Amino acid sequence: MRGGYNFTINKNFVIKNTISYLAVTMLSALLTGSCTSVNITRYYHRHQSALDSIQHTYKTAYRIRPFSLEFTDHSFRRVSVEILTDSLKYIYEFGPGEEAALQDSLRKYQLDVPAIDRLITQMRSMHCAWVNKLDYYSLSGEKHLLTYISLWPRVINRPFRNKQYYIIAYFSEPQFFDTRGELMTGRRVRRIRKINAEIYNRISDTVCYTLSDRFR
Amino acid sequence: MDTIIPAEWNTAGPLQKFTARLLTGCVLLLLQIVEPLPSLASLNRLSSSGDCIGFLRGERFALANMGNDGSPDAERSLSLPANDVDSAASRKEAIRILSTITHLDSSNWWPHIRPALFLENLRNNIYHPLSIYQGSNTNFCGYAALTYLPLHDDPAGWLRFMLAIYRDGQASFNGIAFTPSARIHVAAGTLVFKGVLDIRPADQLWFLMLADHFRGYLNIFTPRFRDGSEDTFWAAVNLGKFCRMVRRLGGYKTHTRGSDLIRPSIHELYDYISSSMKTGITFLYVDNTYLYKKNHGTLKLHIPTHYLVLTDIRHDDGPDGLLTITYWDYGGKSLRKISEEFLKKITYGVVHCTKTD
Repeated sequence: MRGGYNFTINKNFVIKNTISYLAVTMLSALLTGSCTSVNITRYYHRHQSALDSIQHTYKTAYRIRPFSLEFTDHSFRRVSVEILTDSLKYIYEFGPGEEAALQDSLRKYQLDVPAIDRLITQMRSMHCAWVNKLDYYSLSGEKHLLTYISLWPRVINRPFRNKQYYIIAYFSEPQFFDTRGELMTGRRVRRIRKINAEIYNRISDTVCYTLSDRFR
Repeated sequence: MDTIIPAEWNTAGPLQKFTARLLTGCVLLLLQIVEPLPSLASLNRLSSSGDCIGFLRGERFALANMGNDGSPDAERSLSLPANDVDSAASRKEAIRILSTITHLDSSNWWPHIRPALFLENLRNNIYHPLSIYQGSNTNFCGYAALTYLPLHDDPAGWLRFMLAIYRDGQASFNGIAFTPSARIHVAAGTLVFKGVLDIRPADQLWFLMLADHFRGYLNIFTPRFRDGSEDTFWAAVNLGKFCRMVRRLGGYKTHTRGSDLIRPSIHELYDYISSSMKTGITFLYVDNTYLYKKNHGTLKLHIPTHYLVLTDIRHDDGPDGLLTITYWDYGGKSLRKISEEFLKKITYGVVHCTKTD
């Protein structure tokens, strides 16, 4: 009789414990997920002027000649530049102490050297790993370009895990989003749009973000 | 059909199928590794015999020699250099065929292909063959690199084949009968979010059809196309499969150094590749995580996943001893300076192709 009573107590205890463990786990998962999304939006708003400035400088310099900039190392000292001409894409990489060579190369292809110098400084200060233009196509086949900025804020990296990058996409015109804020293909065709294989979320009508394990 | 799964296996149970596929994979992997390898001396012999003239190092461009039929100046560089009379004649013929087609009817075989876009895509490939693009984040790079060959050698034959398969749902190219599965018929024209591939249904058809037809050990566990398969192992191309496709589709002889997992032990890689380029077309099978760095992680799985067509390689005069390489991939030619160590690090396979008589 006594043994049976004890068994009932233990069973209730186990059930209660299981429920509380489940609740804690689910809550943490929920918080982790929401923190990620909140953080990028918050990060963008906190650094909006710097990020918008990167985008603006890049966009202006890109008009003269298409190019992309990338930092290839952890310390943001090695810069790689891809310069697009009608016939070839020139890919150069410059390390510390090779600033003169970089400027010579930029000058050779008639790029805006002061603007790109400024852009490199801005990118370095924001830990921006890559800036580029990506093309995407509407369902009717119309070509559009967006500015793609990859950021590597070190705070979100943990040991033995893939590096995580904040990707900020600047569109030239307002986009369509679903009720969860995910980027859609258009107003009529309600389909989630992927860019570089990632789903994007809304920051504003023309700016979106995603979290990715690669910067390009 | 170049399938590696015999038809009788379809009646076997899942465990038997799994075992059989695993065994086939192991055998193919071994065959890949032990494929006969040519020596540098043999390549030099080919070079001195003058049997084959590498067209990729040529300075002239086919369309530039074609008067008013050519493309605008700015995009002329996206055309292939002329190597011989046959390919130039074939290009002229392709342009003539295109000029006779003003309208294409929709095809019941390919319900999602828009005829106007299909025709525009064919026109683009004939006028600007180097602009062919495999799509972002797909595994079509092997097929795109391979397309370099028919678009240079026999653009008219390729064009006729594409028009025939569009019209009839099946056709033969270079003696190979292509009968794409129903899933491919439905999928062509539906791939989206792949960059410019979105609006190139003919390229979608071509890549999907090649992936559906040619199968290798990497494709064993993904036998059928499903939505999104273009990004998976379904479309992957191992080195052995690539060489097989080059031989069968292009009618080329291939000499291959390297494998899918281990780098080739070529002592003087630069010399080997330079010699190779003098006598034919050279494809490199490279580790893309080095070539195009995508993250700053230190622990990476280094395996080759990318094919490129090497169009030029030379030593710089400077004291740093860098190499300047020019190659085609991702819809255009790129030029970059690299060290010999870097070249060794990225290269897992060198495929040297010479035209059979």
